[in-house]
Amino acid sequence: MNDPDPRTLTRAREGDLGAFEDLVRQYQADVWRFAYHFTRDRSLADDVTQEAFLRAFRFLRGFRGDSKFTSWLFRIARNCAMDQIKARNVYVERVTPIAGSSTDPQTRVELHAALDAVSAEHREPFMLVEVFGLSYQEAADVLGVRVGTIKSRMHRARRAMMDALAVEEEAR
Amino acid sequence: MNHEQAERLLSARIDGERLSTRASASLEQHLETCAECRAFERGAYRLREAARFEVAPAVPDLVDQVMTAVGAEGERPRSRLRVVRPAGSPRRSILPRLAPVAAALVVGALIGSLVVGGPWQRPETGSALAATEVTEGISAAAVRLDAYQATFAIDERNLSPEVPDRHLTMRVSFESPERFRLDVVDRTVYPMAATPTNLRLVVDGSTWYAAGPAPCPTATCPQRESVVRNRLPFSTAAPIPTDLVLPISTLADADRLTVLGRGTVLGRPAVRVEVPFERAEPLFPFLSIGGDWRPFFPNDRVRIWLDERNWFPLRWDVYPATGGERDAWALRFGLPDEPSLRSLFSVRALHVSLDTPEAGAFDIPPTNSSQDQGARVVELGHVRREIGFEPLAPSTVGGLDRYRVVLPLDDAGGTLVAYADGLAFLNLGETRSWNGDAPFGPVSVQAEEISLSGGGVAYYEPASRDHGRRVAIHAAGTDLYLESNLPRSELLAAAAALPVQGLPMPDAWTHRRVGAATAERVSLETARASVPFPVEVPTALPAGFGLASVELVDAGFGAGVTLYLRDEDADAGIGTIRLHLEAASALPPATSAAQSTVGVDGVQGRFTPDRSQLEWIDGGLYRSLDAPGLALQELLAIATSIGGDETDR
Repeated sequence: MNDPDPRTLTRAREGDLGAFEDLVRQYQADVWRFAYHFTRDRSLADDVTQEAFLRAFRFLRGFRGDSKFTSWLFRIARNCAMDQIKARNVYVERVTPIAGSSTDPQTRVELHAALDAVSAEHREPFMLVEVFGLSYQEAADVLGVRVGTIKSRMHRARRAMMDALAVEEEAR
Repeated sequence: MNHEQAERLLSARIDGERLSTRASASLEQHLETCAECRAFERGAYRLREAARFEVAPAVPDLVDQVMTAVGAEGERPRSRLRVVRPAGSPRRSILPRLAPVAAALVVGALIGSLVVGGPWQRPETGSALAATEVTEGISAAAVRLDAYQATFAIDERNLSPEVPDRHLTMRVSFESPERFRLDVVDRTVYPMAATPTNLRLVVDGSTWYAAGPAPCPTATCPQRESVVRNRLPFSTAAPIPTDLVLPISTLADADRLTVLGRGTVLGRPAVRVEVPFERAEPLFPFLSIGGDWRPFFPNDRVRIWLDERNWFPLRWDVYPATGGERDAWALRFGLPDEPSLRSLFSVRALHVSLDTPEAGAFDIPPTNSSQDQGARVVELGHVRREIGFEPLAPSTVGGLDRYRVVLPLDDAGGTLVAYADGLAFLNLGETRSWNGDAPFGPVSVQAEEISLSGGGVAYYEPASRDHGRRVAIHAAGTDLYLESNLPRSELLAAAAALPVQGLPMPDAWTHRRVGAATAERVSLETARASVPFPVEVPTALPAGFGLASVELVDAGFGAGVTLYLRDEDADAGIGTIRLHLEAASALPPATSAAQSTVGVDGVQGRFTPDRSQLEWIDGGLYRSLDAPGLALQELLAIATSIGGDETDR
């Protein structure tokens, strides 16, 4: 995922609402998808996206570029998602099929079964790296863990998901 | 290489992480012979395919909604800029730091800002009660209190996601002047194995005992015990948290508290005041005795209900500060959203009485290890025989009684006479053989010079985080210091009541070397006459601040001047404001990575947040302004006031 044009970022930091709107346009889909994967609920994902950008707007002056902007934004989105989940006391562990997905149903079911087989601890880095294409360092920044932790969680996530898929196949 | 290692490397390689040449080679070698690992690789790519196709649900367009919310946000009052302490640094340990009194010459690091409600205007409260009535009421109540017992309930939110609420009880017992006991019992039902935060602090005059679990991330935390014997009277290194009984330190400075209003608590008429958390830390002594506690932001608001008749704190709550910096701080700690109107932490009195605690309440538990502060208690009549002189005594000490005479174990060969009544105290230290290069006692060379009412001069410093208000007197043949929690005027009256004439600091103290530079303490007039540029005192200063002292500084490039500006009551929080002036045409080279450029009164300047320092050059004059507890906005307000009307204290 590309970081924004530094000039847009600078203007947004200085309080330029037009520049901030450009950032919202550029990243809202990624933030929403990330929120959706976290909450597995469309309306929660809407709320999380809105709240994440609101917080990003508040904190933007304090964003010093220690990490990539996208990592920073995802970190905020993740915190918002956790707050929402806690506030509503919901965590949709079971999968609700997504309307409008273009993939064939078989693949989808497989993936959901596999994702359900791993803990949130392993699902999160998997989603960040596989789905959103973050590097290990960026995923580590988002989750506030070390790169080595991402590395071993990615491995365990893959192993667990493959094992779950193998069991599914055998059962069929 | 085994499967596990090979799979880890494969997993990283699939994600585009670079492997070392050696790791890469051995992985290839392993793959050639291992069908299982090749299957892992195929499976991983299959998962990737599924995952990347999966994430294509229709994404809603939320730009309008987000921008509407952001627009509303922009209309809210902006939080004022302030320096945020690095995570984990502000909590000061109550555990004893042993230092001979006479060696504690340097005032401790002072951090944090005390300013409530914007730069230095006291907010209108509509209450009939003035902040000064609160501070004066507490000072008056302090000398009357002989005994106290109370039970409190403590409720804490958001220690961790697993423990969103904790409930503890706290029992406090006090008997004047220096007997104190605090017990915290953790009543939380933890969802997992955990060490309860059960704490104990017992002080019986010269012995100080504290015990509790060490903060730790595991289920079983080791117990920690600290004991100090031969403690100095009213030692600030092994302190008694008497603010739980009467918040003398927390509410020492009327300029830094806000009266919110009146009400009824526990059926008693009560007044509610607010101070920032960093100012109210003495009301939370249990945080540093042991156990794990939630973090607090320096500017979180502490609202305290005080009994209007006797000024006991009946209930205090911490509410989160608002604004982006608090939010960013909360993110770092992984805290959830904390609504600004919901209490994060509350301490409620359940029962308060003035009964004398039962016998045995202040017994120190048996323990093996201990530290020795070296204060030997002696009879006043024996002092001359022990050290060759009889300590001087003031003709009045604010109505306090002599409580104890000790001979501290330090090089000064002096005496320490403690006076006390209720919770009020005054320590008077004296030596006849002082040869240090600064005043005797915890008073610095930059202290404010005061003309005492009986003639002579003394040097005064406001209360800090580490010390009470204090005064040093240098007289013919003797050096003295006084340290007290009495108000400034009463402390100065006690200093004036000593049978000595204070002399100005000798040259050996006023001239000092700072690295390659020399510094000399001078009067403002001397400074003005010694440099070719105007020396102006800023006119916009936080309430209670004024000029304390002036130094001429010479680093070999021509003389500069440093002004020290301090609060007259308590500077814990803002600290000393320093303004340095020197002829120069360019800023010195950058010294910190975090520096940024700012406009100062129409010229370009530089701000260094980690030192709270503002530097700028105007008309060939370099100016550097710093104060540990002030934010950029406040420094700018001071900077732009330089050159206005002068108001020297």
